[in-house]
Amino acid sequence: MSETTLTGGALPITIRDATKSYGAVFALDNVDLDVRSGEFMTLLGPSGSGKTTLLMVLAGFTRPDYGSVKFGEREIVRTPPHKRDVGMVFQNYALFPHMSVAANVAFPLKLRGVSKQEMVERTEQALETVQLAGYGERRIDQLSGGQRQRVALARAIVFEPRILLMDEPLSALDKKLREQMQIELRRLHDKLGMTTVYVTHDQREALTMSDRIAVINHGRVMQLGTPEEIYERPANRFVADFIGESTFLPVTVQQGVARFGDQSLKVAQMPEAGEDLLLMLRPERLQLITNDSEAADGEANRFEARVREMVYQGDSFLMYTVLENGTEISLRGMTRRDTVSTLPAIGDVIQLALHRDDTVLISAEEP
Amino acid sequence: MGREKRYSGQSRRAILSRTGIAAVAVAFAAGGLASGATAADKVTVASWGGSYQKAQSEALFKPAAKATGINVTEETYGGMSDVRLKVKAGAMTWDIVASGSGSASRAGAEGLLEPLDYDVIDVSTFYPTLKMKYCVGGDVFSTVYAWNTATYGDKGPQNWADFWDVEKFPGKRAYRGKVAGALEPALMADGVPPEKVYEVLSTEEGMERAINKIRELKPHIAVWWSSGAQHAQLMKDGEVDMTTGWNGRFDVAIDDGAKAAYSFNQALLDYDCFAIPKGAPNKDTAMKFLAEISKAEYQANLPNYITYGPTNKKAYEIGKIDDAVARKLPSHPDNASLQLPVDIDWYAKFEQKASAMYQDLVTE
Amino acid sequence: MSDLVLRSAGSLATQPNQTELKQDALRERFALFGLCSPALLLVLIIMVLPVGWLFWLSFLGEDGNFTLENYQRMVESKSYARIFRNTFEVSLLTTGICILIGYPLAYFLSQLPRRAANLCMITVLLPFWTSLLVRTYAWLVLLQRRGLINEWGMDIGLWDEPIKLVHNLTGTLIGMVHIMLPFLILPVYGSMKAIDRDYMKAAANLGASPAQAFWRVFFPLSLPGLFAGALIVFVLCLGFFVTPAVLGGGKVIMVSMRIATNIELFFNWGAASALGVVLLVLTLVILGIASRVLRFDQLLGGGHGS
Repeated sequence: MSETTLTGGALPITIRDATKSYGAVFALDNVDLDVRSGEFMTLLGPSGSGKTTLLMVLAGFTRPDYGSVKFGEREIVRTPPHKRDVGMVFQNYALFPHMSVAANVAFPLKLRGVSKQEMVERTEQALETVQLAGYGERRIDQLSGGQRQRVALARAIVFEPRILLMDEPLSALDKKLREQMQIELRRLHDKLGMTTVYVTHDQREALTMSDRIAVINHGRVMQLGTPEEIYERPANRFVADFIGESTFLPVTVQQGVARFGDQSLKVAQMPEAGEDLLLMLRPERLQLITNDSEAADGEANRFEARVREMVYQGDSFLMYTVLENGTEISLRGMTRRDTVSTLPAIGDVIQLALHRDDTVLISAEEP
Repeated sequence: MGREKRYSGQSRRAILSRTGIAAVAVAFAAGGLASGATAADKVTVASWGGSYQKAQSEALFKPAAKATGINVTEETYGGMSDVRLKVKAGAMTWDIVASGSGSASRAGAEGLLEPLDYDVIDVSTFYPTLKMKYCVGGDVFSTVYAWNTATYGDKGPQNWADFWDVEKFPGKRAYRGKVAGALEPALMADGVPPEKVYEVLSTEEGMERAINKIRELKPHIAVWWSSGAQHAQLMKDGEVDMTTGWNGRFDVAIDDGAKAAYSFNQALLDYDCFAIPKGAPNKDTAMKFLAEISKAEYQANLPNYITYGPTNKKAYEIGKIDDAVARKLPSHPDNASLQLPVDIDWYAKFEQKASAMYQDLVTE
Repeated sequence: MSDLVLRSAGSLATQPNQTELKQDALRERFALFGLCSPALLLVLIIMVLPVGWLFWLSFLGEDGNFTLENYQRMVESKSYARIFRNTFEVSLLTTGICILIGYPLAYFLSQLPRRAANLCMITVLLPFWTSLLVRTYAWLVLLQRRGLINEWGMDIGLWDEPIKLVHNLTGTLIGMVHIMLPFLILPVYGSMKAIDRDYMKAAANLGASPAQAFWRVFFPLSLPGLFAGALIVFVLCLGFFVTPAVLGGGKVIMVSMRIATNIELFFNWGAASALGVVLLVLTLVILGIASRVLRFDQLLGGGHGS
């Protein structure tokens, strides 16, 4: 079985000072970003953050006010879209409804003057690659959402672009199919090896698929890093808030020691600067202390809290508690039998532990 | 008892007629004051509506109703095809219909009309050609040639031969798009004396001859006109330099500032008439009413409302028509003598055949 | 087999409310049909009956008996064939010109921002608010020998002799195109607006130049609207009366005009009805052929591969 593979090699993308404003609003604010060759890079951010604008600048549909975009060594910021040679999967797939599946996939080959025989072969290969062999004669309106997604992907890769752009391609699919496609897309990327820029607002999707994630807000890159870096060491409150669930506690620093109220904290790493710091509490990193022996672990910070509410969520539970000073923090635990059997009742005062490695301080200032 | 206004009761069948729609009924009653008529006497008259019917109403119907005490209800209708529908349905509601002479002649031949009783209707002072078995003339009009006085000055065409002469009178022509009144001028232009025109036209070769003559002029015919309003406008706008048309329309256009003139020489004298449809509910009253409106005193009223002439010669003699007006009317003795009366019988016999030939020519 | 019998027997006897629910469903269907019946009756009265009546009349002679003379006449006289050819010629030309003018105009409108497009659309629709007769006579005033256009043209020195713009095919087409244009633009604009802009982006991204994207993607997707519009214009043109009568100068004779003439000439609806019947049949035949050749269904669905 032959498959579509990349013959020309992937290309790195270099973005410098990319800026686009709509009136007083900056969709892109002097963005610098390097996408490595063959990398799966996700642009993650809330709606209106500028992530889609950045993708459209790469595709050529949005002209930035100024800035530089290079594919490899080639400056393409003024190149019209049809001369950029990048593959793209649109959010709504944008499959041509008046053409069959095969005609859709063959479309870019036809425009490139590929011989008829080669066109048929490569179309067939591309459909095989997305596991739609034999679907060529179908009409678009005869396909399910997942199948359309695959056709769109086949069409975007059939002409072997060295860069592939995807604009929230899975957002129209239901959760189960979406999760399945995430894995498939990632595998396909690993196989084809093209530089991929992927836009999503779904943080879990970003964490699942990416080599690196660029978290974007207000037209700026808030943080660039691997999924683990982004999750474990968020650079600022926005990133910490946007990725995963967190509660933030105000922290003061005295003589190099971080304190929460009267309590001095054992921390993994002190931030370099800043007076105003926040302690980021992830619900799944808090531990319920059930007996004294565990609490004796000297590497953990301890908090006393009162149980206010419990929510059962199947695989896990969420416990809402209130600290002495009134701050609400929540704790997530797995619903394993041994854990559940020792759960406190509502109104009980309990002890919570946070390991020093999980005790992450971030700057309270907005970036 | 004063004036009474009422609306004519339409039969349900009248819905089938596309014209029975706007039956605006105006009735005139002189009550018991009238002589020789009882209050029950009434007639329903159907005509073409518009300014034409208004003129008829003011000049003929209203005064005659007042004099005879006959109640008159007026309706509008669309022509003999409506009469045919009502006769076929056996539901005639009209007593008198106004019609073109040609249509009336054919409708009579088809049995749609009652023969008129000329013992009741006195036509002794009528032009002899302006009445027939089924229809008595109501007004007279002419098909004339008109020319643009800006183009030709005072030296306009004197006859149909001039109308055809594009060397002597260069310029655009307009001609009728239908056969009625179209063939006779062609033969006269071709040298046939007026009195021989219908004789010649009564053979296929004769019709062919007329058609060929028009074909000769065809390159210069810019417009085939289809209505009186149109040929009047064509002259007014200077769109063509010469056209055929109905005299009354040209008078209106000239009064309105059109630089145009026309001549009665070799014009076609035609008339509209009144008929009684088969099965008319008040046939005898209708006959009496027709006798009344055919009198010279009513006929003399007509030119006050429209420039169509009376059919009763005597109307010129009773001093009711101003001499200047009279000289403009088609049926004025001086004008009438210049013209060729339209032969209704010829139309009854040959119009359909001639029309087919004429349409072939026009669409060539 | 026995299983089937058992089940059906069982269902008849034991399924709760089965008969009642079936009856309810039936009653509902009748109720729905009942609600439709006024509309169906209306269609019957205003569409089917008149056409049937027309058909019947066309076989009646002047004496009211069955005859084919109304149809024979059309075969024998050369003018009828010419008039039919004329009618279809004028209709096709009008449709063609409407497409040539209307399609680019609709495209332009579809690319404008919504507010500007709405404003322009109002100007497109404005003629609908004035009487057809007024618009037709307005063209007469503009186009005739001493009309505004000829006067201006000669004043400026563009031409020396008046150009024949009216009382011929040219004038008829100008008038008819003006009146018909909105009927084309509306459906075309509608179908263009319905085309997702992402299709054009996708085409560009896949390597299509703007012209290629237009012809390979936008144009085929706008075809259903174009066909709908062209069809409306063509069929409306076939029955046109006023504009050719006023602007054609008696030289452009359409079937509708001949129908009017025949009613006067023959005293009998048959002669006119036969013309109507032939026009109707010819139109249906042409549309039938067109739908075969152009394959409307395929235009609306997907094309075929490679």
